[in-house]
Amino acid sequence: MQQFSVHKIGPEIKIAGIDLSFTNASLFMIISASIIAIFLFFGTKEKKIIPDKIQLIAELFYSFVAKMINDTAGSKAKPYFPFIFSLFMFVLLCNMVGMLPYAFTVTSHIIVTLIMALFIFIAVTIIGFLKHGLKYFSIFVPSGVPAILLPLITIIEIISYLSRPVSLSVRLFANMMAGHTMLKVFGGFVISLGILGGWLPLGFSVALTGLEILVAFLQAYVFAILTCIYLNDALNLHH
Amino acid sequence: MKRYLLVIIVFSTISTYLFAAEAGMPQLDPKYWASQAFWLILVFSILYLSIAKFYLPKIKKNLDNRENKIKEDLDEANKMKSLSEKKLKEYNVILENSKKEVTKILLESKNTLDKSIQNKKETIEKDIENQLTKAQKEILELKTSSINSINNISQEISSNIIEKMSGDKLNESSIKAVVEEVSKKNIGKYL
Repeated sequence: MQQFSVHKIGPEIKIAGIDLSFTNASLFMIISASIIAIFLFFGTKEKKIIPDKIQLIAELFYSFVAKMINDTAGSKAKPYFPFIFSLFMFVLLCNMVGMLPYAFTVTSHIIVTLIMALFIFIAVTIIGFLKHGLKYFSIFVPSGVPAILLPLITIIEIISYLSRPVSLSVRLFANMMAGHTMLKVFGGFVISLGILGGWLPLGFSVALTGLEILVAFLQAYVFAILTCIYLNDALNLHH
Repeated sequence: MKRYLLVIIVFSTISTYLFAAEAGMPQLDPKYWASQAFWLILVFSILYLSIAKFYLPKIKKNLDNRENKIKEDLDEANKMKSLSEKKLKEYNVILENSKKEVTKILLESKNTLDKSIQNKKETIEKDIENQLTKAQKEILELKTSSINSINNISQEISSNIIEKMSGDKLNESSIKAVVEEVSKKNIGKYL
C-alpha cells in the first residue's frame, strides 16, 4: 500500500496548529490541474474556424460536458456548467495521472473524494432551498405512492438523500483504490513467480491497466453525471 | 562493472522501498487529511476560476463563431440557390419566348411564300389562258380563211374541170354559187 501513502515534501507548514504541509498528494493535484490548464491554454490559443487537433479535443470535451448537463439537468443548469466541467476534468485528470507508474492517485483518498462530494451535496441542498424554499422538502415525498407506504418511503428517501455524499465519494475512492491495489497485487505475482510463471499475471496486469484506464474515465463521467442528476433534483423539483 | 553494481543497488533499494509491507490503509490515517483538504480546495478553486473566467468563454465564443459562420454560409448558399433558380426560370421563359417567336416567323414566312406562289400561279394561269384564247382565235381565223381559200380553189378547179370536160366556159358566178352550196353542205364533215 506504499503507493497510497502521503508524505511531506518540503518544509512543514502549520497554520493555527493544523498541519497543512505540501505533500505528494498536493503535488499531483497541482500536476493534474496544470495539465488541464496547459491543455486548455493550447486548445483555446488559436480560434480557428476549422480547428486543429488540440482545439478539437478541447471543444469535444466542452460539447461532451455541455450535452451531459443539458440531457440530465436541462437548460436551468447552465450557470453550473463551469463547475461541472472543472469537476469532470479534474477528476478525470487525477484518475488518468494516477495511472502513470510511480504516480500518486489523488482520487484514491477518501478525504479528497469526500470533500468534493460534501461540497456538491451542500451546494445542491442550498440551491434547492434557494430555488424552492420549504417546498424543497417535498423531494422526500414522492408522488403517486399509497398512503400506507408513504412514511416508509419518506424515511427511505431521507436516508438515500443523506447518503448521497457517502455513496458519491466512496464510489470514486473505492474504484480507484481497488484498481490500483489489484494492479499492485498482479505486479507482485509477476515478481514472486519470476521469469517462469510470471507471464500470466503480467498479461493480466496489462489487461487490467487497460481496464483501469476505462474505469478512470468512467468514474470521472459517473461523478460528473451524478452531480448533474443531484443538481437536476434541486433545480427541477419533480416529485 | 561498477556501473552495473550501482544500477542493481539502486534497483533493489527502489523495489524494497516500493514493496515494503505496510500495515493498514494510508487513506484512513488522518495525519494529512487537513493538508489534503486544504490543497484540494486551493487547487480546485484556482482551476475552477481559470476555467470559468478564462477558458470556457473562449471555447464558447469560438463554438458560437463557428455556428454563426456555418449559419451565414448556409444562408448565403440558400440565397444563391434561390437566385440561380430564378435565373433558370428566366432563362426558361426566354427560351420559351424565342421558341414561340421562331414558330411565328416560320409560319409567317410560310404564309408569304404560299401567297407569292399562289400569285405567280394565278398570273401564269392567266397568261396561259390568254395565250390559249389567242391561239384559238388564230385557229378560228385560219379556219375561216382556209375555208374561203378552199372555196376559191375548189371553184377554180371545178370551173377548170367543167371547162376541160365540156369545152365551154360556164358562168363563174353560178359555179361559185354551186361550190359554196356544196361546201356549205359538206364543210361539217371536214372541220
